[in-house]
Amino acid sequence: MRFWEGIRMALQQIRAQKLKSFFSLLGVIIGITFLIAVITIVEGMNSYVRDDFAGSLFGVNTFTVVQRQQIQTGRADEERRRRQARNPQLDLDDVAVVRAAAPDAKFFAYSADRGLSDVRYGSESRRNIRVIGGSEEYQLVQGWKVEEGRGLTALDEQRALPVAVIGSEIAEKLFPTTSPLGKRIRTGGYRFRVIGVLEKQGGFVGNVRDASILIPFSTYDATLSQRREGIEEINVKVETEAALEPAIARVEEALRRDRGLRPAEENDFWIQTSNDLLSAWNTINTILLAAIPGLVSISLVVGGIVIMNIMLLSVSDRTREIGLRKSLGAKRKDILFQFLTEASTLSIVGSAIGIAIGLGLARLVEELSPLPATVSLPWLLVALTMGLGVGVLSGIYPAYRASKLDPIEALRFE
Amino acid sequence: MSETTPKSVDNIITTRDLTKHYVMGAETVKALNGVDVEIERNEYVAIMGPSGSGKSTLMNLIGCLDTPTSGEYVLNGQPVQGLDDDELARIRNREIGFVFQTFNLLPRATALHNVELPLIYAGVSSKERQKRAAGALERVALGDRMDHKPNELSGGQRQRVAIARALVNEPSILLADEPTGNLDSHTSAEIMQVFHDLHGAGQTVIMVTHEYDIAANAGRVITLVDGKISSHDAKLPTEVGSHAF
Repeated sequence: MRFWEGIRMALQQIRAQKLKSFFSLLGVIIGITFLIAVITIVEGMNSYVRDDFAGSLFGVNTFTVVQRQQIQTGRADEERRRRQARNPQLDLDDVAVVRAAAPDAKFFAYSADRGLSDVRYGSESRRNIRVIGGSEEYQLVQGWKVEEGRGLTALDEQRALPVAVIGSEIAEKLFPTTSPLGKRIRTGGYRFRVIGVLEKQGGFVGNVRDASILIPFSTYDATLSQRREGIEEINVKVETEAALEPAIARVEEALRRDRGLRPAEENDFWIQTSNDLLSAWNTINTILLAAIPGLVSISLVVGGIVIMNIMLLSVSDRTREIGLRKSLGAKRKDILFQFLTEASTLSIVGSAIGIAIGLGLARLVEELSPLPATVSLPWLLVALTMGLGVGVLSGIYPAYRASKLDPIEALRFE
Repeated sequence: MSETTPKSVDNIITTRDLTKHYVMGAETVKALNGVDVEIERNEYVAIMGPSGSGKSTLMNLIGCLDTPTSGEYVLNGQPVQGLDDDELARIRNREIGFVFQTFNLLPRATALHNVELPLIYAGVSSKERQKRAAGALERVALGDRMDHKPNELSGGQRQRVAIARALVNEPSILLADEPTGNLDSHTSAEIMQVFHDLHGAGQTVIMVTHEYDIAANAGRVITLVDGKISSHDAKLPTEVGSHAF
């Protein structure tokens, strides 16, 4: 029998019993809705992390020298963590070594920061901000743009001026009606004159920039720093992606030589790139994407059992029809095919409804929260395939029962 | 089976010693006990008998819905005893047009689609199916009711749809099981007229009934009693209803 004929009959059956069909599909609908909603969000975060987040956190074509590894990927290695904790603090000597080793750097910066500070202006205050002491090219390395006023300059750095460039959130909170430029804000017991406001970053991790205050490193070192000349990071931005690896190799070698490390010894510093973050994210991502279909399968199994029951009911309701079809020449495989098609069509319709609701839900989450959402075509196909699989599997037994019916008995059935 | 091949090539149905036994627990019910039937092409035959006489069993065997316990059955030159389910399904599809007492139409399908059903299982293309189904409906004078569903049709019209469905694949035999059992006498006469016309056009018609006045429409009546044939050509009384089984 023709394929389309089977689908046509199945759709007719679904239309004839809308409510029953809907309830029989509930399990599949919920499973697929969940799958699509979660996958859409995860994929959204995925593309966000890959395209925006890593770049905005570390800068494109940028590497950073730090005292120790900050992002662990894979299983935590306690021993290694303890070893790295004994790494020497970065200082201005290291800055000089790195700078000398990377003469082709497009931008070069070093910085120190403190988190969880408060900032005040008049009666307004903002908690949980980060104060960064950055050298003059810090903004350029980070790719931060100034929206209003100006950024830090070499002069600010040389003279250790008490000036600050503030994030957009801080500007909005402290200066809701006036311009922040020229105003003196207080943080950590010191006053800083606002010279610029950073462009709003917004989004999922916008607070990294939007809730930060940037002051010259020399100023920071003289005021807020708890460890004099202590450096948190040294950032190097190179022109091209191709230049990144050689530059990293040169800096690594220069630092090892400066610190007198023997070839067998491990680095007593850490160089991180946006790849560190990406590989950490990829680990989480892989686990999520493997676990979700597993979780969804549970509800699909339940959905499948419901469909199987409904199909069994349908077979017994339509015993006479099956007898009639057989008397008109339907072979066993025709009947088998009819009921398999019906179960599959049913569950594919369920999957389609689930996909629609799931996408709607993801869209809603995107609107109401900073989580991004990205529709992924392969996953839509996975959802449909899972739906089809459930339909076929749950249809096999009822369809087999139907195909085995004796036409005489079936025709006589009341 | 070659030694028992029917002698007359004009026979559309030949059975030899057709037997059907049902085992029910410890008991064996001999529903059909050595039945020899010959029906020629273009005959109009009624099969009669009281309930339990085996006429339904004979009809099921003739209709290839069931296989005999023993004996032989040659339909349109082809021995069909011992064929498997799928081969029987194919023969039902090509050789036999069933008409049932309760019409057995698909309630949600239009008259046209109901008539198309046997063609679906014959593997006929959709366009060809519609053409042939429409033609069959016109033959039973329902050309203007093709898009009606069964519940929009009268009993007589429903049975005519069923007859169109039986005819659509041009079967060797039209096999009707109590075709007027659910119809009033006026409508019964209308259906009998359809059968009469089909027979006149060359269709072999076999009709199972327990009503004398219905059987009287046939050219010949085969009477079954206790699983055996008691008469190959019953002399029907002219007065209707004088004899009750």
